[in-house]
Amino acid sequence: MSKPADLVQGTLDLLVLKMLALEPMNGWDISQRLKQLSSDVLSVSDGSLYPALHKLEQQGWITSEWRPSENNRRAKFYALTRAGRRQLQVEADSWDRLASAITAVLRLREA
Amino acid sequence: MDLDRLPYVVAGRLRSLFRRGRVERELDEELRYHLERQAEVYAARGMSPAAARSAALQAFGGVEFQKERARDARGVPWFDELSADVRYALRTFRRSPAFAAVAVATLALGIGATSAVFSLVDGILLKPLPFPEPERLVRLVQSWPEIGLERWGLSQTNAAVYHDRQKSFSSFAAFTVRTATLGGERPSQLNVTYATADFFGVLDVAPMVGRPFLPSEDVPGRNHVIILSYGLWQQRFGGDRKALGTSVSIDGFPATVIGVMRPGFAVGTQASDAWMPLGLDRNRPWGWFLAVIGRLRPGVTPDAAARETTDILWAATREDPVFVGRTQVPDARQHIRTIVTPLREALVGKVTRPLLVLQVAVALILLIAAANVATLLLGRGVSRSRELTLRIALGASRGRVVRQLLTETVVLALAGALIGLGLAAAGVRLLPHLPITSLPRVGEVHVDGRVLGFAILLSVVVGILFGLAPALHTHRLGLSSDLNEGPRGSARGPARRTHATLVVGQLALTVVLLIGAGLVLKTVQRLLGQDLGFRPEGITLVNLPLPRDRYEGSSPEVGARINAFTVELLDRVRRLPGVSRAAVAWGPPFWGSGRNGYRVEGHEVPAGAEGQTVTNAVSPGYFATMEIPLKRGRDFTAADRDSSALVVIVDQTLARRFWPDGDAIGRRIQMTGDTVWRTIVGLVGGVLDNTPSDPPIPHTYFPYSQEPGRFVNLEVRTSGDAAPTIAAIRRTVAAIEPQVPLDVVQPLTDTIRSSVSDLRLTEILLGGFALLALLLAAVGVYGVMNLAVAARRREFGIRLAIGAEPGTLLRLVLGQGLRLAAAGAVLGVAGAWVVTRWMRGLLYGVSTTDPVVFTALPLLLVAIAIASCAAPSLRAAGSDPLEALRVE
Repeated sequence: MSKPADLVQGTLDLLVLKMLALEPMNGWDISQRLKQLSSDVLSVSDGSLYPALHKLEQQGWITSEWRPSENNRRAKFYALTRAGRRQLQVEADSWDRLASAITAVLRLREA
Repeated sequence: MDLDRLPYVVAGRLRSLFRRGRVERELDEELRYHLERQAEVYAARGMSPAAARSAALQAFGGVEFQKERARDARGVPWFDELSADVRYALRTFRRSPAFAAVAVATLALGIGATSAVFSLVDGILLKPLPFPEPERLVRLVQSWPEIGLERWGLSQTNAAVYHDRQKSFSSFAAFTVRTATLGGERPSQLNVTYATADFFGVLDVAPMVGRPFLPSEDVPGRNHVIILSYGLWQQRFGGDRKALGTSVSIDGFPATVIGVMRPGFAVGTQASDAWMPLGLDRNRPWGWFLAVIGRLRPGVTPDAAARETTDILWAATREDPVFVGRTQVPDARQHIRTIVTPLREALVGKVTRPLLVLQVAVALILLIAAANVATLLLGRGVSRSRELTLRIALGASRGRVVRQLLTETVVLALAGALIGLGLAAAGVRLLPHLPITSLPRVGEVHVDGRVLGFAILLSVVVGILFGLAPALHTHRLGLSSDLNEGPRGSARGPARRTHATLVVGQLALTVVLLIGAGLVLKTVQRLLGQDLGFRPEGITLVNLPLPRDRYEGSSPEVGARINAFTVELLDRVRRLPGVSRAAVAWGPPFWGSGRNGYRVEGHEVPAGAEGQTVTNAVSPGYFATMEIPLKRGRDFTAADRDSSALVVIVDQTLARRFWPDGDAIGRRIQMTGDTVWRTIVGLVGGVLDNTPSDPPIPHTYFPYSQEPGRFVNLEVRTSGDAAPTIAAIRRTVAAIEPQVPLDVVQPLTDTIRSSVSDLRLTEILLGGFALLALLLAAVGVYGVMNLAVAARRREFGIRLAIGAEPGTLLRLVLGQGLRLAAAGAVLGVAGAWVVTRWMRGLLYGVSTTDPVVFTALPLLLVAIAIASCAAPSLRAAGSDPLEALRVE
């Protein structure tokens, strides 16, 4: 697999929630951070972040507000809600279980 | 969903709905920010600004696409789709304005007419009466069917006894409506309701200004107070509050104004100009003229109240049979009882059936009109199949396309409803000016919120129902053949079947309407064309109520005064130019007759089983004036006076009943309640009255001099224009007795006509609807045949090219039309057979399955349908083979 892994929508949500758990950010910041932290492994076409953000906001996990940003511009900053924080925990747990399950299968020694 | 999230979710939805512009702009700005930052990064790496921007765009991955996804992610409210559909529909209509105009106009007619009739039905039948707790209000009448008194008013004694002994009502009042003269410089006639003290208590309304009656004022001789109606207050006193406490002259007696009612206050059909206390005299057992209304105690049903009052009736009768006008207690098996009905029913019962018939009729019109629009839509559907197929190919779901089509029809229907409501409102405003005297609660008929709601609901239902026809054909779309065919794609089998069904349905409904209207028309003709037994043309009626102060009462002095007046009046009037004959009477036929029981000497009947006769008192010359033939014996003369022997003249109905072979002259007859016998001196022809019945009720006439009445009715037969004669009569009357107003002055033919006025209204409206339906159906047939011909153009062209005669094609198309028309007619006749059963109560002398109506009218429809096919079939025959064969 030479191509960077395409992220499934569900996991994108999880990552966004985690990012916002660290601190409120705007869309641009989130995309930069993700690229940084994962050394470009987790590649997200920039635009697909926004539907995810809007979906999460519509569902009430995150909330947004306009704040001044670089150079006298304003940007839309997102932050976790309390419910979002709980949801993050739920999703993270379920990801752990999934990852452990896959790992467990992969660790099977060939006979 | 945990409650924590809820406020955010709700806020989000609201924002999507109400702040859509801002939401869009913010999305735009948010994405632009991202793109700018990204471009900066690339620019920092050394790209040119233009290159940096395009690289940023590329990295982003389709701005509009992501925007759309972001919008989707927010959840598109149904509202968005709906408004998009509506806007699309409006654009479509703007492209074909003719179609839209015709469709909207057709629907406007249908929905407007339906809404107008509904406003009548709602205002008259459905809305509760405008009084507090109206369901507890009832009407009480007495009944003695065995002697012909199905509905029997109460005497003053009756009313007093019920009032005192009853326990079912929390309040109970009796009233009667009479005319009275309001004195002054220009005396005028008022409709006055004379009511017992509890009247306003029963209805639970108080005068807008002033106070209601006190019980102490409801006593004979002390009832000199008056409450004005709002209209009278404005008219006579200019709405001045200082009118309270002033005195007015009513029938020559003074009355103090103590109050004014709110505008529009009325009970029943006749709006009163004023209310006065009745002055209930419990010692007057004769004269059954009182109507009774009451308010039931909570929990008491009308039936229970009827049982209680019937018990009171029998108890009082056993104490003194004069309670029911007899000298002996009637047989207990007689069905003498009281009937208690809810007040609203009593008021509107008579018009329920005609109104419902009209509502159904107008609904049929709406269906026919909507079918027309559906046909139009189907016609367009054929040419729109390309556009719709394209949409489906581009990804619209079938459901979405169907929703779009339905939205279009609903928009058409709503537009039609809007215009139609305007028409309906205008029509309703005209109502009080129509010559329908007896529609109850007309003042409460408005095009109001309820009617609006009804119209909107109707439009949506109609729009969806008839939008389904073209919409369902979309299931066949999506075939590439639709894309390739030109706009004149053929209407294939299923579409043609739908057309045919629509047209047959329209024709059937039209036949039902035609037959219904035909039956009513025939009834009215029958009623109006009957041999009345007299000749009303040329007779003018002049009603002269004599003032109470000198002409009231039954004493001989008063009788002499009345007779002096009438003799003088007739003497002078007969000498006026233009007057060929004149007479006075209690009233002419159709005026509202008095009735009484009677017995014939030699044919004794047990007490309580007397027959009923219509009674009238007439001056000499009455029969000659009315042109009622005198068959035997003599007319009254001046010799038949108060002091001479009591005589009567009877009609043939009575004579034939008792003396079929012999002679009625010389026999004697006695009125119920009298002790004297009267001798029959003359026999006249029968006359028809405003209560046609079977068997006919006989008429008995007294000499006016022996039974004078205060309400003098002058019948004048004029030659030529009546107006100058009436002016002369006015002067003559003023010369003899200045305080007598000329009350009603109208040609007798008008009186007769207004007695059938509600039936005439039904006739006019139904007839109008039937004609409208005919027109719509004809248009429908034309439209469908056109479509059918257009669809088979190629086929016709080929046939002609191979050598078919144009006549053959003509016959082909006409044959098609004939089959449709015949199917519609047969279906319609079958439907009418069932439906007209329901109209039985409306008809008179006409069977609900009248063969003439049932054959002539369907044939008329078939003929008109064929005529509508004429143009299309000519077009078929005239098809140019070359043009038809040209490949599109």
